[in-house]
Parts: sequence; structure tokens; C-alpha cells
Amino acid sequence: MPITVSPETYTYVSFDAEVIRRIADDLVRALGMQDRTITIDVDETTPLVRTRLTIDGDAIHINADSGAFEDTRLPRQQSEAATATALGRVLLRASDRLTGGFGEAPADDQLTLAQVAAWETYCIGRLERLGIAVNRQRWLYNFRNRHGFTDGGDTAFDQLWTNGGLTWGELCAISDRALALKAAH
Amino acid sequence: MADPYRARAPFAPWDRRTLPGLFDVEDTARRVGNYKWAEMKLFEALGGWVATVPELDVKMRLGTHCYKHAWHAELWHKRLPELREMNPDRLAVPANDAMVRFVEALTEPEAPDQTIEKLTGVYRVFIPRFIAAYTYHLNGTSEITDAPTIRSLKLILPDEFDDWRDGEMMLQSLIETPEEAARASAHQLRLESIMIEAGGIAGPGTLGSQ
Amino acid sequence: MRKFLPADQLARDERFNTITMQDRFNDPRSALGTGDAATTTAGARQKFRLTPERRDASDGARGLMHGIMVGEIQALEGAGRTCWDFDTAGVAKTSSTGAHSAGAAQNPSGDMDVPFALKLDMARQCWDEARHVEISIKLSDWMGTEIGQFAENTVLFAAACSSDPVLRLAGVNCALEGLAIDVFTTMKEFGDLAGDPFLEFCEDWMLADEVTHVKMGSDWLRKVTENDPERRKKALDFQAVVDKLFSYGGTRSDSDESPIGLARRFRALAGFTDDEVEAINDVSVQALEERRARGAAARASADPASATST
Repeated sequence: MPITVSPETYTYVSFDAEVIRRIADDLVRALGMQDRTITIDVDETTPLVRTRLTIDGDAIHINADSGAFEDTRLPRQQSEAATATALGRVLLRASDRLTGGFGEAPADDQLTLAQVAAWETYCIGRLERLGIAVNRQRWLYNFRNRHGFTDGGDTAFDQLWTNGGLTWGELCAISDRALALKAAH
Repeated sequence: MADPYRARAPFAPWDRRTLPGLFDVEDTARRVGNYKWAEMKLFEALGGWVATVPELDVKMRLGTHCYKHAWHAELWHKRLPELREMNPDRLAVPANDAMVRFVEALTEPEAPDQTIEKLTGVYRVFIPRFIAAYTYHLNGTSEITDAPTIRSLKLILPDEFDDWRDGEMMLQSLIETPEEAARASAHQLRLESIMIEAGGIAGPGTLGSQ
Repeated sequence: MRKFLPADQLARDERFNTITMQDRFNDPRSALGTGDAATTTAGARQKFRLTPERRDASDGARGLMHGIMVGEIQALEGAGRTCWDFDTAGVAKTSSTGAHSAGAAQNPSGDMDVPFALKLDMARQCWDEARHVEISIKLSDWMGTEIGQFAENTVLFAAACSSDPVLRLAGVNCALEGLAIDVFTTMKEFGDLAGDPFLEFCEDWMLADEVTHVKMGSDWLRKVTENDPERRKKALDFQAVVDKLFSYGGTRSDSDESPIGLARRFRALAGFTDDEVEAINDVSVQALEERRARGAAARASADPASATST
């Protein structure tokens, strides 16, 4: 299915819709999601880095603030690595929700901060194995901020990072164990 | 316990310090004034260069060394009034015109691609001259009458050795080609030539007369 | 080496990309985007204070830490240049035989000479800032940030480029090091709340240095301008300008809408009076209001219908 990116041209930032489409297409193929309808709306009026996911049947809709695709070294310029990471995270979350095992996961805006961090870790670890350049330490720091700076927390991070077939229940169990260790620390 | 009122030798058997020294008060004040001037010029140059070197490790080292040499200048500044020079600024002068020219040549490199020249001047020419002058002073001055200068020298010299080693290691890591080695040598030769003319940081006689 | 190096001549390795305040002002998204973020569609104001509760907490902390790192590099460079750019009052500009001392020819009147002790303080600041760069690099690595990962705004060094050393002290030591007190306090609290074993520890050490630097600056400012009220006024005006510049968008204030809080206790330790801290807060709150107004205006011009919803 074709991937739709809007807008096609940009005023506030130097982004290329075709680059976004190509990166999304590569990710969709790698994740086996070619049968989904995917639309990506970029809000170029904000430098924030949020991405929001809406799933409607087979259709996946992604809203991204321009900061999510931006090169932090070169303001208003696009970064292919940032685009791939931002889209990869959100597509993997969509894939998890659509392919089973994550049915009981709350809506994105209902997730706890710890659940968000655990799911991010699970997504980024898989992205790294797809060949996308990521900074593992960044995500470890993100996970530690939610689950504590403990050896047990780091073990939980490794379990999420290296795993490829978790269910929502398994993911939450790993996160909860780390939180219990944090509380006991 | 031994009788505390029993007469003891004022100098213990292991205290071998002696009175004679190479420098009188006036000589010492003059040398210390030259030291202060030279340390000042060095810390000012190091501070100025921080912004001009792109290598982050070098930038941080120069910032650290800048303070050490400022502290040395302060030690000499405080020593001068103890040497009957109540206006420390009067003696804080270069030993001679060649020293002025030396500092001008030392501080000439500015461009970001001249880190080798900057470091060569400081760590292969200037700081070795400090080490030499201070060591000569330490070994030659009266161990009893000039104890305060000795204390300052003993505080300063380890800094000079540490900084020399830091600088030499930075240079060795930056010099990767024969051409770069030649640049360092050429700059060193130029500065050494002026320093020879100056006779050292305290002028002719910095290391005594041969 | 010349005296007075402009900010665009700062030497950086290939990892860094420097931008100016003008570049930042020229980003139209700043007005549109932050205005949008500062108010929800229901009109309620969002909390932007950097705390672990913020959804983007770790990325926010990483970005701020990188800002601290480049700020420390520029503070190091600024203090170093003050050692070099000015002659030392009282010290002979010629040798015993009359030759000019290096650099003396550029300020023959000596009206901008600085006391020897002031230079010693600036050299000490060089060492402190060099240490802060080392700490910031280690912390950035710990937090998963690469050197140069974010664009570097050279505005801090620009404040250290004045040809009057007193203005440098006012701009850098009083205004910017004062801001550093606010930033480090916010980061220290963040590290403490998050349980980060290094962040709180390191920020506390750096905070101690910054309090010293502010005190150093305000003491020298008073001393050097003791008999020159006009020069003192000029310096304090410059300090206010820098304070306002760094309050752009309401970056720091007592309001939770500001990412960085105003560290009243540590500012008091550094010698700021209650009135001075209050004045900084007023400037910041005003900047926050201006940001909201800019955002609303920008959104109104982009989409007149949406302007009423905020």
C-alpha cells in the first residue's frame, strides 16, 4: 500500500517528503507491514519532538512534530537517522498492537511513564537489530530514569532490549520487577 | 622521656642545610620579578589560546595550566615585598628586550591549525626554561636565609614538570607526519634562538656563568 | 595572537555546529510551536519545569546537559580571553631598556587595564570552567549524548566579548554565571528526584564553583567602578540586557511553565539581593508573557480560526 506523507512541501523547515516516504517504506517492508495503509502528517509549525499514533482498522496514522525528524546539530534540517528512529518506534508500537499479544495495552495517552520507557526500550532494541543506528546509552538512561539506577533495572533493560517476541504482559512483568527493585533500593 | 631542659644542638644531625647562597636579597628580588613577569605572560597566552584551539582535550588542558601559572605569578608577587621591594610591579619586568621579543614570537600563532606551534613554544621551549631557572635557583640559593623562596620553588616545580609532561604528550599525539614534526622543529628553533639571546627567563646568568 | 576574538572565530572540531541567537530568533517555529506547547487547547498552562515527571524528561535533561557543556566551553574561553585581552594595571609595558611588552601597543592609554588580582581570578575561573567541561562531557556520556549532538549557540561567548572588562564581568560573571546557578540547581534537583547517582553529585560541585564566580564578578564590578558611577551603571545595564536575553521565552523563572527554576537560595549565597532576584524573575515572567503573545499572534496569522481556541 502506498504511504502518504503530508505536507509535500515545507515552509518552516527544510524537509523532503520523498525522504520521509522512502524511510517509512524501508521500515514498513522490514517490519512486514506492507498491507497497511499508512499516512504521516508532519506539523512543521512546532519544533517539539512528539509523535502520535492512531490506528483505525488496517490504517495507521502518524502525527509527527517537526522536531522528531530534525537534525539536532542543524536546526530546521532533516535528519535521516532521526526520521528512521522516530518512525521506527511508532511503527513498531503499531505493529505490536496489531499483531497480537498487546491487546490489553492501554491507549498511548493512558500508559504510565514506566510503561512508555519499557516499550520504547523494546522497540529501539529491535530497531538496532534492523540496522538503524541508535545510541544504546541514551535509551538506557531513559529506562533508568523510570526504573531506577540499579543493577536489577539494567538487567530488565537488557531483557527488553534483546527480546523480539514479548507480549504486553511479559513486558509489564519485566518493568514491574525493575520498579520493585527500585522501590526496595 | 629525655630531660626537656638538656641542651640540644640547634641543628639536628640530619639537618645539613648551610648558610652560603649564590644570591643576595637584591639579586633574588630581580630574579623573582623576572619570574613573575614570565609566568604572567605565560598564563595570559594560555588563556588567550583556549578559544583558538579546536582540539577539545587541548582546550581543557590549556585552561587548567593557565591557572597554575597564574598561581605561580601570585606566589612571586607575594614574595617581592618580603625582598624589600614594596612596589612588586616595579620589578615585574622582562629580563631584557629579547625576552619581550620571545613572548611576542611565542604568542604569534593564532590560527586554529597552529596548535602544534602553540604547544611547541610553551612546552618545548618556555616551560623547560622555567624548569631550568627554578632548579638552578633552588640548588644555588641559601638554604637558610632564602627558605621562603625555596618553599615557593618546591611548590612550583612539580607543576612545571607535570605541565611539561602533559604538553609533550599532547604534542606527540598531534604530530603525525614528518612535515608536522618539521613545523614543530622550525618553530622551536626560531624561539630557542631568541631565548638564547635573552639568556633565559632571568636573562644572562639565569643558569649562572659557565 | 590578536586581542578581542569575535564569537564567530571560536575554534571547534568537526563535531560541532555553531549557531547564533539570530538563527534562533529566525526560526519561525519558535513562536508558533512553543506558543502552542505553552497552552493546551483548553487554555490551561502546561508545566515545562524539567522534572522526572515530564514525559520527555531524559531527553530534556540530555539536551540541557549538552547546553551546559558548550556553555562551559564558552565560559572557559571567555575567562581565558579576559586574561589575554587586557593589560595588567601597574605592570610595566616595556622592558628595563624600553622595549614594548607584548600586546601593550594595543591599549597605550591603559584605561582598560585590569588589576593583577582580577586576572588571577579569571585564570582560576579558567581552571574551574575546564573542570566543568570535563564533568559535563563525562555526564553527557553517561546520559547517552554525543559531543556536538546539538547545535551550539555562541551567545554566551558573545557576552564575553566586550572591550570593557567590567562589562564582561557584569555579563558573564553576574548574569550568565547567575543563570548557571539556576540551571545547576534545576539539574541537581532533577538528579536527586530521579535517583541518578552522578548527576546530583556533580551538579552540586559545579554549583559551588558558580556561586564563587558570581561573587567574584560582583565584588570586582563594585571595586573597579568604585569611583566611576557612570561605568558602573553601564555595566549593570549590560547585565540586565544579558539577563533578559537569557530569559528569552521565559526559559527560567519561578513559574512551572519555565523549564528552569530561579535558585533563590543559592543566588542569595552568591550575593544577589532579594530585589535583584525579583527583578530577574520579573524579566523572565515578562518574557514568558511575550512568548505566549507571539505564539498566539503567529497562530492567528497562520490560521485565524484557531487563534480563538487557545
